[in-house]
Amino acid sequence: MTRHILATFLVLILIAIGLGAYAWYLQKRVARDAERAHQQQEIAPPGNGAETPVELYIASDEDGSLHKNQLTVVLPLERSERARAVLRALFGTYLQSPSPHPIGPGSDVRDVYVLDDGTAVVDTNAAFANSHPSGVLAEELTVASMVVTLNANDNRIQRVKILVDGKERETLAGHADLRRFYLAGNLNQVAKELQ
Amino acid sequence: MNPASRAPRAALVAALACVLTFAVAYLDRVHAQAESRQLAVFSLQATYSVPLVDINGLPYVGLVEVLEPLGSVDARRDGKKYKVQFTPPGGKKAELQFNEGRDKGKVRGNNFKIAANFAFQGERGYIPLGSVSSLLAQLLSTQIVLHQASQRLFIGGSETRYSLDLRKGTPSRLLIGFSSPVNPTIATEPGYVHLKFQRAPVVSSGNDSVTFDDPVLTGAFFSEHDGMAQLDITGKGALMANFADGGKTIIVTAAPITAVEATPPLPQAAAPPAQTATQAMPRPPEAPPAPRFLVLIDPAHGGDDIGAAITPSLPEKDVALALARRVQHQLAIKGITSSLLRTGDTNLSLDQRATWANAVRPALYLSIHAANTGKGVHVFTSLLPVADVSRGGFLPWDTAQASFLDLSSAVAGSIAAELEARKLPNTTLVAALRPMNNIAAPAIAVELAPNPSGVESLANAAYQDTVAQSIAAGVAAVRGKLPEVAP
Repeated sequence: MTRHILATFLVLILIAIGLGAYAWYLQKRVARDAERAHQQQEIAPPGNGAETPVELYIASDEDGSLHKNQLTVVLPLERSERARAVLRALFGTYLQSPSPHPIGPGSDVRDVYVLDDGTAVVDTNAAFANSHPSGVLAEELTVASMVVTLNANDNRIQRVKILVDGKERETLAGHADLRRFYLAGNLNQVAKELQ
Repeated sequence: MNPASRAPRAALVAALACVLTFAVAYLDRVHAQAESRQLAVFSLQATYSVPLVDINGLPYVGLVEVLEPLGSVDARRDGKKYKVQFTPPGGKKAELQFNEGRDKGKVRGNNFKIAANFAFQGERGYIPLGSVSSLLAQLLSTQIVLHQASQRLFIGGSETRYSLDLRKGTPSRLLIGFSSPVNPTIATEPGYVHLKFQRAPVVSSGNDSVTFDDPVLTGAFFSEHDGMAQLDITGKGALMANFADGGKTIIVTAAPITAVEATPPLPQAAAPPAQTATQAMPRPPEAPPAPRFLVLIDPAHGGDDIGAAITPSLPEKDVALALARRVQHQLAIKGITSSLLRTGDTNLSLDQRATWANAVRPALYLSIHAANTGKGVHVFTSLLPVADVSRGGFLPWDTAQASFLDLSSAVAGSIAAELEARKLPNTTLVAALRPMNNIAAPAIAVELAPNPSGVESLANAAYQDTVAQSIAAGVAAVRGKLPEVAP
């Protein structure tokens, strides 16, 4: 009887050690895959359309400003895909090193849905929000640059909703309100003040 | 089963019992630590609370947390040494030094013994609660009284005393006179009136238990616990309490039960829920409370929400709280009453902050943040279209701030002008920052960013003081434009 209990106890301990080792292995693999994905991330969007000049409103942490830059990007023909490509070009600028306004490594735009009523729903990935530098001004600059850039390249986009991994989130990194719709008109005014 | 096979099983059961006992003891300890005990500090300048931390079974307080509301503090850890410079308003700078694991330190160059060893938690230095009064007495050269069991500290004769005066008659009245105005929470139940003083430094009048030879009012009992004082009035039947003399007197008397009994009974179908006599009685007309000007300061983040990691050892929540205390101090110098939404490392959701702020009805809501990006000071008003709606009725939660934007902008502009006058780089912007949009009062947010000397400047006392002075001066300059509100 006692021998059975001890044997069961030992087996349970061995199972626990085995599960712990497997969990450690999985954690390492996830971290390695994430690193690999980040290294392979494209800075410029792929495109099947023509090379088109786009206007990017680039934020600068140094002086808290937004500056208009022109860049030539291969843009897809479909409207939502074009909006996504423009935003990915903007993120690409921020992901370069050195960056005028660094955002978290691995930040990306998963999808953009442009609706007929002038609403654009931007679905970012988790890395964008989870590793975004925290601060009122830093987050405000990111949101403003995204909304103003979208509106500058498609003036029918009048309001923007930002999602993270397909879901609504309370704030970007503790400050900027992501529960609301951002009106392009309001942020264009902000952009003018920041130029 | 023979006795030889029972012994190992008994050993296994005993081992499991030990593990369970240790687990329960550990959980109990964790639970005890998680309970946020606070030391309530009452001074003539400020009323605030400081978290109590359990170290080696003794209550400790953070040195900076205690000193910051009382003056200018510059503290830094240097290995095992903790060096603090403290300057009280209008006083001389004092230097303090303590060593980790030692019960001796230096205050103003003299040896200073504390009740137990000095300790660190991260970069913060902690001293035993029992040594706070002697330390403050040396630093402030004033009378310090610590009620250690009830976690209350009184600085510079800030105590409020009370007297009891029973006026017999029909009905009898108990007049409780206070040496300064009080605003306790009043709870009534049949035979009792409970006065709970959380913000007022009410102390015992010398006799904690008084009995009266009266058919209605039978006694008064004073007690202190958990940073607050409580005065319980006992009697026979329902009692009621009213304020008089601008809050310096509370009158306790029997509730007019006969008035309720005389009320004709309602038809059964329409009978309201049962009410106590106190709830149902007609209240005597009261003079409208005097309007007051209160600035509510909200140090952002706190608890698990650290905000931005300014440096690996300096979270935004700590910088925000330190700056908020300095702003409160500077406002007090200008004669402006202010209150902190959090005084310790507390978890508060954005909705809780807005709910509490709106309940307080401040003349101005001031949110304090810090960041390691940008430079100087960023002043924000809410990113909302200005709404021309009445401020009297219900306001939509998500856009409650819209009708106060003109006043909020006036405050932001005034603070920016004061920052400019002190040659501090500043930016004034709109931002979609919660909970500002939900505040039904003029509201701004201030974000402290580094000065040209780098990110370490965010913890610099002189830099924070200059910014706090600018904010206080900016608020004082537009005080006339902001509405005073009835409490």
